[in-house]
Amino acid sequence: MAASRATTLAPLITQTAFVAVACVFPLFVGSNSYALYVATQLGVYIIAAIGLNLLAGYAGQVSLGHAAFVAIGAYATALLMVDHAWSFWAASLVSMALATGLGMLSALPSFRLSTWYFAFITLAFALVFEKMIVEWRWLTKGFAGVIGVPAPRIFGYEFGPKILYLLVFASAVVAFLIVRNIVQSRFGRAFVAVRDAPAAALAVGASPQSMKMLAFVIAAAMAGAAGSLFAVQKTVVTPDDFTADFSIFFVLTVVLGGLGTLWGPVIGAFVFFLIPEFLSSLQSWRMLIYGCLLLVLMLFAPHGLAGALRQAWRRYAQTQKTPAAARTDTPVEHVAVAGLALEITGLQKRFGGVAALDDVEFIAPAGSCSAIVGPNGSGKTTLLNVSGGYYLADAGSVRIGGVETNGMSAQRIAALGIGRTFQTPRLLNELAVIENVMLGAYRRERAGFASTALRLPGARAETRRMRAEALDHLEFVGVADHAEDPAGEVPHGQQRLIEIARALMGGARLIMLDEPAAGLSMTELDRLDQLLVRIRKLGATIVIVEHHLDLVASIASFVTVLDRGKILASGSPADVFKDERVLQAYMGDRALRSGA
Amino acid sequence: MDPDILVRGLTAGSLYALVAVSFNILYRPTNVFNFAQGELVMLGAMLFAAGKSTVGLPWPLALLATLAAVGTLGLAEEFIAVAPILARSKTGTGWVITTLAISLIVSNLVGWIWGPDPILVKPPAPLSLDTFEFAGLRLNSYVIALAALTIALVALIERAYRTLQGKAVLAVAEDREAALLRGINPARLSRWSFFLGGAFAGLTGILAAPILYASTSMGPALLLKGFAAAAVGSIGNNRGALIAGYLIGITEAVGASLLSPGYQEAVVFLVVLTVLLMRPQGLFGLATTRTV
Repeated sequence: MAASRATTLAPLITQTAFVAVACVFPLFVGSNSYALYVATQLGVYIIAAIGLNLLAGYAGQVSLGHAAFVAIGAYATALLMVDHAWSFWAASLVSMALATGLGMLSALPSFRLSTWYFAFITLAFALVFEKMIVEWRWLTKGFAGVIGVPAPRIFGYEFGPKILYLLVFASAVVAFLIVRNIVQSRFGRAFVAVRDAPAAALAVGASPQSMKMLAFVIAAAMAGAAGSLFAVQKTVVTPDDFTADFSIFFVLTVVLGGLGTLWGPVIGAFVFFLIPEFLSSLQSWRMLIYGCLLLVLMLFAPHGLAGALRQAWRRYAQTQKTPAAARTDTPVEHVAVAGLALEITGLQKRFGGVAALDDVEFIAPAGSCSAIVGPNGSGKTTLLNVSGGYYLADAGSVRIGGVETNGMSAQRIAALGIGRTFQTPRLLNELAVIENVMLGAYRRERAGFASTALRLPGARAETRRMRAEALDHLEFVGVADHAEDPAGEVPHGQQRLIEIARALMGGARLIMLDEPAAGLSMTELDRLDQLLVRIRKLGATIVIVEHHLDLVASIASFVTVLDRGKILASGSPADVFKDERVLQAYMGDRALRSGA
Repeated sequence: MDPDILVRGLTAGSLYALVAVSFNILYRPTNVFNFAQGELVMLGAMLFAAGKSTVGLPWPLALLATLAAVGTLGLAEEFIAVAPILARSKTGTGWVITTLAISLIVSNLVGWIWGPDPILVKPPAPLSLDTFEFAGLRLNSYVIALAALTIALVALIERAYRTLQGKAVLAVAEDREAALLRGINPARLSRWSFFLGGAFAGLTGILAAPILYASTSMGPALLLKGFAAAAVGSIGNNRGALIAGYLIGITEAVGASLLSPGYQEAVVFLVVLTVLLMRPQGLFGLATTRTV
């Protein structure tokens, strides 16, 4: 036990020591020393890098023009303070708002598109902005730049270099904590979902568009704040400070430190910023070295230095891990839910010339278990996708719990209480199993963005409650012993069960399962059978697409057979499986003979 | 308005359309949008210029050598920077960063070898940049040939996609796994597309050289305007890229003459944003829906 406490404490002690050293650092250097100047600048870069890491590392949106957002902040602060004698604090708020606002205007169209559009548009934005700084001489003073930016003041007291360092340091700590709190909350889980499995984000009711936008707003605001501090630290702001190279520098900082790791941007900025100080003779080779570093890191260390450290640490800590306490196998009691009925009439869906669904009628009464069977390509998954809002139907009506949902977006339909699992499990492989389950509660969690970012008591209590509930659901599906493992390392069959737990976590009143039995072993199949019975006893409606007819016969009270987009037969399993046409079309003559 | 603007717009538009088509060739089977494409175009111009003037090769030979060299570099890029990333994750966009890294490496190496000075490249023999007046427009034979060649190349490529190999590329773009089951080798097609996309970028550089001069700084601007043409014309649609290329070339020329040359990029950027905001799939594409 002592050993395991040491393994959890050691990283904490390292982090605290680092922060403490950074905090008392100004006591040991002179006010006008180069070391203090460099340290302050480093802090400014870290703030911007922390924001970029949230955007690129967690939400998967690589901004290739981050220097432009820093530039907006720097110019806004410098111009407001020099030309209009504003106070630093007001100017800095305006800087953040401007960086966010201008950034949003240009990035807005890209949120609906593939992520690489965002990379291109930010790259283009930076290039255009670079030109405009020079073009708008009347505003920005052209190449000469804005000079003589005064130091920040509080009640007439002017900040010296040491206090300015502390201000930058405190801002970096705040930025770090905000990002940490967000990353560990439902927003962070939704960011990762948007990055790794957009379908999962939709299934839990998180709109990829709004998540991307949220990540961008935070990153741009942080870049604006960094720019604002940049202006008062350098006291001069010129176009040369914000070239395309500077944007590459931020990307490299984050990649070097580790995309999607909390300490990545800090470590990256440190290593990256200090090395060129030592190797100034290689100045002309800098961009070539940056390019090679980016390539090698992305290929061999996608989680950068922080990722490598973490991995080494885990390997070390693993050897001393105490075995997890055995859990009891008694099923957990869950509160009953009111099932939602699914009524589909006259549904049409065409893909080009192929009618995937042709005038389909399907009714799953509230609290029932209905199965959809049929050969491959008969439109089963399409039926689920249209019901869930992943596809738009060409004609017909889908009513869930009496509400017409045809035309609603997938995340809005999910919010009505629809759970969904996929043919190939859509889990966030890098997150722990329990985090995957907690993602399911995205729509249920009430803590707002501000209280999450500041980790107010309400948000903390809710997180605790959700974690306990998620563990409950994991026990319900029988995967609780993997709760803390990365989901990608769990065997395939259990991944399917985790998806079901995620759907339950969302309080699903209608669960649509797409081939949950595919690839399961016999014992896993039994467990799935029992699980579905228990879910139905709770009251939820189950719609299951399945090839495994024994399972269907055992749990479904109603079976619909699809063939080439048309309903072939429907009724009770016993009747449907006796139907001559079904047997012929679906199972072939040989099955007919051997069944007889 | 000065009618010469139209000529300038058409000239630039031809080049933007060609860059956009080279993007599309790569994009179709891989769904990768190569951030190093601008530098491949630049490399094509530089290699051709060096082959012709420094080494003294006759132009057909310099042309072939350049196409082979830039195509091979494209192939190497696929092998080093794209295939390993796609093998790790089909949905990830790590290739944004790795292809950007290739672009940095190429642009800096080329800059180190040839230096920053632009190299003058003359058009091949019968064609020239000498202007003549026609219907109030000041034209030259090279610009006319360039526009004709651009249209012919797009027609040729569209034809190529109707062959069996071309259809295989489209099949891979639609559904990689299904294509695999039909006996198509997506990895081989990806490599071929990077080779051909690279060679096409090299050709674009050669065609651009007499107009823009061969210089190390031509990459970023062509990258962004090629992207603009590809996005406005719908990614993957070559005819769309052709029309959008001219649209952007002319808008840029008009914008620059109305405001100031410094606004060229800003005008193009605004056009792209407006189009994407109203039609995310571009002007000539259909919205795709396939998700799970």
